[in-house]
Formats: sequence, C-alpha cells, structure tokens
Amino acid sequence: MELQRIAHALDAEFICGPDDWEKINIETVFASDLMSDVLMSDRDELLLITSLSTEQSIRSAGIVGSEAIVIANNKTVTEGMIELAQDQDVALFCTSHPKYEACVRLGRIMEP
Amino acid sequence: MSEEHKQPLQSSLRVQELVYGLRISEVMTSKVFAVSRNCTMRDVQTIMKNNSITGVPVVDNKRVVGIVTMNDLMNALEQGAMEHNVTKWMVGEVQTLAEDMPLSFAISAFGKFSFRQFPVVNKKNELTGILTFRNINHALIRELSRQLREMEQKNEQPEEPESLKFSKVYQLNRYDFENGGKASSEIKKFLKERGVPPKLVRRVAVASYELEINLVAHSIGGMLGFDINENRVKISSHDRGPGIADTEKALTQGYSTANEWIRSQGFGAGMGLPNVKRVSDEFAIESALGMGTMVQAIINLKPETENENK
Repeated sequence: MELQRIAHALDAEFICGPDDWEKINIETVFASDLMSDVLMSDRDELLLITSLSTEQSIRSAGIVGSEAIVIANNKTVTEGMIELAQDQDVALFCTSHPKYEACVRLGRIMEP
Repeated sequence: MSEEHKQPLQSSLRVQELVYGLRISEVMTSKVFAVSRNCTMRDVQTIMKNNSITGVPVVDNKRVVGIVTMNDLMNALEQGAMEHNVTKWMVGEVQTLAEDMPLSFAISAFGKFSFRQFPVVNKKNELTGILTFRNINHALIRELSRQLREMEQKNEQPEEPESLKFSKVYQLNRYDFENGGKASSEIKKFLKERGVPPKLVRRVAVASYELEINLVAHSIGGMLGFDINENRVKISSHDRGPGIADTEKALTQGYSTANEWIRSQGFGAGMGLPNVKRVSDEFAIESALGMGTMVQAIINLKPETENENK
C-alpha cells in the first residue's frame, strides 16, 4: 500500500521524508513503544507507529530499515528527531490519534 | 584541522581495543616465584632481592593461599620477625585473575584495587603466572608498534574506494543516549553504499545498535570496535564495568537489570543480548563483576558454501 494512503487514513501530518515519499510501498505495520521489540522484528517494507517520541525511536526505525515512522498521540517532535529522520532516510509523520486508534484505522484500510 | 585532532584519538582507541583483545595469559609473566606455607619471611626477602620483584604468592599444592608484598616484608622487618613463617604476615584473601580473561578486566582490576600485582590462575585455580602493570605497558608498546607498522604499510598502498576493508573504534559514555546509535548508523551506511544485501546490513546494524545501547545504558562506559573485510563483520564491545554476575541469565529473553529511566527510553526489556546473539553467526560473551564485559559478534557477509569453494 502506498504511504500516501496510509498518511491520509491517519490524518497524519508530514514532517519530513524523501521527495517521492507518497509512492513508498508499505507492506507491514509495527506498533510499539518498546524499541527492543522493534529491533527484534525482521519484516520488510515496514511502517513503525509509536508514541515514544524520542531520537531512539527514529534510530531504531532506521536500524531495522523502516521506510516510515508515525508518532502517535500528538506528541511533540523535536528538531533532533527531524534531523535524524532525514539522515536515516526515513519518512516522519505525526498524528493526533492515539496509537490504538491509529492501528484500527490502518487495519480497516489494509483489510483485503 | 578537526580531522587532525580526531586522528590520534581514533588510533589510540584502536590500540586500546587491540590490547583489550588480548588475553591475560598472553601478557603475564609465566615464570613465577612463589613460596610454600612453611617458608620464612627471610626466604621471601631473598627471592625479592635476587629477582627484583615486589610481591611473592604463597601456594599450597599450586593453589594461591596468600601473597607477601614489599609492605608485609617491611612490617616483618620492623618487628624483627624475619624468621617467622610467611603465613603470619601474608595477605590471606588474594584477588586473582583468570588467565583466559581479556586484558581489559585486568586493567579494571588495577583501577579498582591498589595492588601492584595479581597472581594469575588457570581453570583449575592453579597459579600459572603473575601480572604487573609493567606487563601491561609492554603489551601496549608491542601492540602500538604493530599498529604503527600496519598503518605505515597501509599508507603505502592507497585504499580502493569500493573496498569493504574497514576498521574503527567508537567510544561510548554512560547514559549518552544521544550518541548511542551513531556508530551503527555510520556502519550501516558504509555497508549499504558498498552494495551489501539489505538483510545482512540490517543484521549488522541491529547487533551493533543493541551493543551501543547496552554500553550507554548498562556500563560505566566503553568502546565498540568494528573490523570489516569482504568475508565478515566483526563487532567487539568492551566496557569498564560493572560486569554481569550471570551471563547465562543475561542471555535469557526478558531478564533485565534496567532502571526506570532506561525503560522510559524504550529499552531494558531484557532482549538486547539475546537479540545480538540472534542476528550473529558467531557470538561470544565474557564478563566479571567489577571488571567489565566483552562481547564479540561476527556476521558473515558471504554464504558459507561460497567460502568453502574458495
């Protein structure tokens, strides 16, 4: 599924990302505030949803090769996180929806 | 200019890392002068004088039961007790080092205790050597010269830009979460740019990031070294303490000693070390309380069948 559709479903605000971010293909979604869990995953074409708004979230996403990360629950995104996302080539979004709500919305549009 | 400043730091880190890679048995003096329980302080004095040493272990059936240092000798001399048995004057509870420990543990031990020498024992707890700071200095100089020679040879042959040969050491400080992850990102980029398959890049990145987080979250500081060639990535992590009481437990998923603050950063679920092991082809850990922890993880870049065909 194209990232643009996901962003729309989440009412997500685009913060930074590659030029052609709209077309990025997302196959799996991982939702967690525990970066240890994120680092254990071995899925591809990943989108990370988290309400842990720290630089470590961006790093962890980058380390496992996530294409995009959505910061849920209206958390503040810091300058450092944006710089890191640009450096790691990860598209960064935020949404006012809580994490669970965001997952439900994605679940609905991803159902076959 | 800044590059010039960085250079000595990097090379000194690399030397440290090399030295940390040594085993105590490779550095210690194997020819040990020891006495048995029924020897006198006079015997110890003679041994010290003839061999210019400052500490003599007392052994019973090859096991270390005490040590007589220059200090003990002076006390005995002052009291006119040179004919006394060594057992009266020796220090009974001796801190020993195991010969297969990394040298970094010995360096921590010298920092922690005020002893000038440590008796070294083997797995059966038998005395096999003695380690002094002089041994460590020698090892340091030896490794330094070797490193310099390698650097000189390297300068003569300019590196190919596409080469996978790379080695670097990063220093990490306690609770410095801001910098924990920089090394992994750099290594990830390096491998990606050279066309290493994404799955392998990810395994290397995960192993190194977990180790970085371990260093900043759980150790009092340490370093992370990378040694990369076309066949494999070797990551080694050394810290100065506090050490892990039970490495078996530390490798159990879910076991964690992390505090609330570490957990608030999204870590400390007790999955770090098991995860490093999961993504590595070879994994080794060594730790001792009060001395530090050493982890080595190797990720092969080529399938094994291909290696065999070569």
